[in-house]
Amino acid sequence: MKKTKLTPYLMILPYVIFFITFISFPVIFSFILMFHKWNIIAPMQFIGLSNFYHLFHDSLFFKSLLNTLIFLIVHIPLQIIIALFFAVMLNQKIRFIGFFRAAYFLPVIVSGVVVTILWQQLYGFESGMLNRFLSAFGIAKVGWLEDSNLAMMSIAIMATWKNVGLYIILFLAGLQTVPNYLYEAADLEGATSWQKFRYITLPMINPTVFMVVILSTIGGFSLFIEPYVMTGGGPLNSTLSAVLYIYKQGFFFYHMGYASTLGFFFAGIILVVIVIQKKFVERDA
Amino acid sequence: MKKFITYLILSIGAIVFVYPFFWMLSASVAPESEISKLVLLPNSPSLNNYSQVIDKIPIFRALCNSLLVSSIITIGVLLFSSMIGYALSYLEFKGKNLLFYIIVFTMTLPFQITLIPQYILVVKFGMVDSYLGLIVPYLISGLGIIIFRQYFKTIPIDMIDAARIDGCGEFRILFTILWPNAVPAIITVAILTFMGSWNEVLWPIIVIRKEELMTMPQLVTLFAVGGRAESQLGVKLAAAAMLALPIVVAYSFFQKYFIQSMASSGMKN
Amino acid sequence: MIIAVSIASFTISSCHSKTANEKLVYWSSNNTEEIQFGKEVIQEWNKNHPDNEIVFQPVPEGQSSEEVILAAVVGKTTPSIYGNMWQGDVEQYARAGKLIALDTLPGFNEFIYSRCDSSVVKEVTSIDGHIYQLPWKINPIMMIYNVDIFHEIGYDKPPRTYSEFLRAAEKIKKVDKNGYSVRWIGYVEVLVTWWQRFFDFYPFYLAASNGGHLIEKGNVAFNNKYAIETFAFLKTLFDNKYLPRERLSARQDAFLSSAIATRFTGPWEISHADKFKPEGFHYDFAPLPVPDDFIGEPYTYGDTKNIVIFNTCPNVTTAWNFLKTMLSEKNDYKFLRITSQLPRRKDLISNALFLKYFEEHPKMLPFAKQSKYVKGPDISEILKEVFDMISQQFEACVVYGKITPEQAVNEAAKATQLLLLK
Repeated sequence: MKKTKLTPYLMILPYVIFFITFISFPVIFSFILMFHKWNIIAPMQFIGLSNFYHLFHDSLFFKSLLNTLIFLIVHIPLQIIIALFFAVMLNQKIRFIGFFRAAYFLPVIVSGVVVTILWQQLYGFESGMLNRFLSAFGIAKVGWLEDSNLAMMSIAIMATWKNVGLYIILFLAGLQTVPNYLYEAADLEGATSWQKFRYITLPMINPTVFMVVILSTIGGFSLFIEPYVMTGGGPLNSTLSAVLYIYKQGFFFYHMGYASTLGFFFAGIILVVIVIQKKFVERDA
Repeated sequence: MKKFITYLILSIGAIVFVYPFFWMLSASVAPESEISKLVLLPNSPSLNNYSQVIDKIPIFRALCNSLLVSSIITIGVLLFSSMIGYALSYLEFKGKNLLFYIIVFTMTLPFQITLIPQYILVVKFGMVDSYLGLIVPYLISGLGIIIFRQYFKTIPIDMIDAARIDGCGEFRILFTILWPNAVPAIITVAILTFMGSWNEVLWPIIVIRKEELMTMPQLVTLFAVGGRAESQLGVKLAAAAMLALPIVVAYSFFQKYFIQSMASSGMKN
Repeated sequence: MIIAVSIASFTISSCHSKTANEKLVYWSSNNTEEIQFGKEVIQEWNKNHPDNEIVFQPVPEGQSSEEVILAAVVGKTTPSIYGNMWQGDVEQYARAGKLIALDTLPGFNEFIYSRCDSSVVKEVTSIDGHIYQLPWKINPIMMIYNVDIFHEIGYDKPPRTYSEFLRAAEKIKKVDKNGYSVRWIGYVEVLVTWWQRFFDFYPFYLAASNGGHLIEKGNVAFNNKYAIETFAFLKTLFDNKYLPRERLSARQDAFLSSAIATRFTGPWEISHADKFKPEGFHYDFAPLPVPDDFIGEPYTYGDTKNIVIFNTCPNVTTAWNFLKTMLSEKNDYKFLRITSQLPRRKDLISNALFLKYFEEHPKMLPFAKQSKYVKGPDISEILKEVFDMISQQFEACVVYGKITPEQAVNEAAKATQLLLLK
């Protein structure tokens, strides 16, 4: 059965080295940094719990958390509804299914940078395509990225547009696992389409829904490049996401200790949210 | 009638997802004054915006950088992930279960924690402003390992036992017997890794400062955010189009694989 | 293997820095004119000092020269001399012990006092009493204005005070038949990026407060009536739509196409304007508007860039001798001619050599006159964030009108004080 004792260890060695250097060391270092002040240039300086004190008095950080939350609240339901809708549409006997799938999937593979630059133009106030479209119907122009109440929502819509193709595919795969006889039985009992969807489809694809929620939560929490390119966090910090704020603290002002503290705190929030979601979504089935 | 509505809705959806790209392409060849009125095709298309991009930023250099970095990362991930996946599926060693759980756990670890220390590490290793700084931290992928492990589980153990009896070493078994039988897993991991590193922006922005080492998304991002596009929409869009092109071309050839790979990355999570 | 690779690369990079350090390395800013100046000066130096040659390099291209310097400090690959350090950045490097205290060098004090006013020397003196930077070049922020537009509304001179500016703004404002604004008195970048305030709040504050401080001796110094006046003035401009709130696309230069009548900018605007201005376009420069009760010559922000010697410098004496040469009268004149930036010296408008230049380049004369009344940023380790705090409130108050000028200044001062305590 076994040849040498050494081979398995040799095979996993790269991972062990990687784990020590790029995961456990950073995590430990990050933990230590939380109690220090460090601008990279000067030596580290122990400051006890000051970073935490500062964190809890940092209204901008809480604003960035709130912004991220707003993003998730708009983005996740929108994503699920649209993805599910198109997946159900595609889950019929239709032609050109390959074409439609490929079309919906196109934004997924393109870099976020491209999508962001593109949408920045679509959202333009004076001559953006969306506003021109609206004014053609006599609707007043919308300050997509200029209005501080709207800007985050605009970013969420864009993110949905970019990612929804992936979730359409995931839902489609989920839908295809629902056995046909369930629908046939329901048809015999005279169920409506909505009833079939509500009582057969939804429970059956619950694991997919859970997965989509988790995936888009993780994705949403790392929101960075979209506001970085589109708005720089403005107007009035309304699109300042948590990662953008951490980036600014760390790489704009070189507060490495503080940025680490924010990172740890934020990571904690992410873990808690995901655990809660898991409980919630699974119970809801 | 119902069929018709279905097709109508699906087509509207397709337009919504594809038209903006089409607009980007036609706006990028339109003169600046026409962009704001542009609906379909510009009256007098020209490649002027593209030549401006090429003049202003070393975009081909960045393309080569991106290709180089993403290719090396992909090859590295394939080698290491299949190796570790193999060990996890077919070999017995101490701490095997522990290792598996560690891998799964680190995949859920938010990057926000490790971002800054990883940067510091890269600084200490002297890898700022070098390809190594972009490549080394990405050579191992937890997802890749898991995908290989799952796939190897489906390959009958008899095949491996037979090879062992023939006196093959484990490395040879992996690369000469398992690899040819694991093409779907290889494609999936390759596409995911390549796309992931091709589209990565945050890490290059942090690690690379020399323009001649910048990756394409980084260069285009800084071009769009910074002043060098001089707020000219056409030029920005041309840069964006050039960034999108390689991956769209790859996608148009290997569309099925792209969709399958991405979908399976979702499944595994 | 990874470790092996990284150790290898580490040793390679450290060897590399060692060999490079044998000669002095001078980094200049990387704009074309300064590269030309640096090359010429160093060529001459090397000809005269074959034993102490200096290597010339423009600062490597990066996202910003500040980041490049920081990376160099971390990687211990700093140049011996760096000729483009923003005055506001010096203190944090000095605090970290990365810079040579120049006042310890023989003849430094005589040199600096013969070159600069004592107020300038005071401005660049670190909190610890040493001087870590040699003031070199300035680009004062002034008001460029469209002479013809002001003629059209009956102004022979540009507005000097806030009231005059506001009255002119009302006359200049133009709306087309669809209700869209097509002409404004000026333009202020609404972006919240901290350094954008160099072109609006900060020079106006310096003008109103007679060159006041933002931070003084480690304390907030801007919670005063001048800051409030400045905020209030700029806010009035936005409230009355005298300034556009949308970002004007630069596809056509708004000033040169007469969409705006003024802009707050530096001498670099001259070559740009002369290159792109339409036929028959007239412009000139004037000091920034001041509060109505202001008497005297208004200060402005000077975008001061200075020279530092890093502690990696192998031979400080040579570096210092070189700097004395590079900042000699002859070379300052050369610098002015090649780069159209002003050397920060007190005899700029009294020395015949420089006066000759300004006679040939009359558009530069207002800047030379203004150079007497120029301030650089205060000495503070957290200056960027102070500007960031002010910028946040600037956006809320001036651009969006959500809070009053008093609230804005208070908020910014409070947040800054919290930072200073940290």
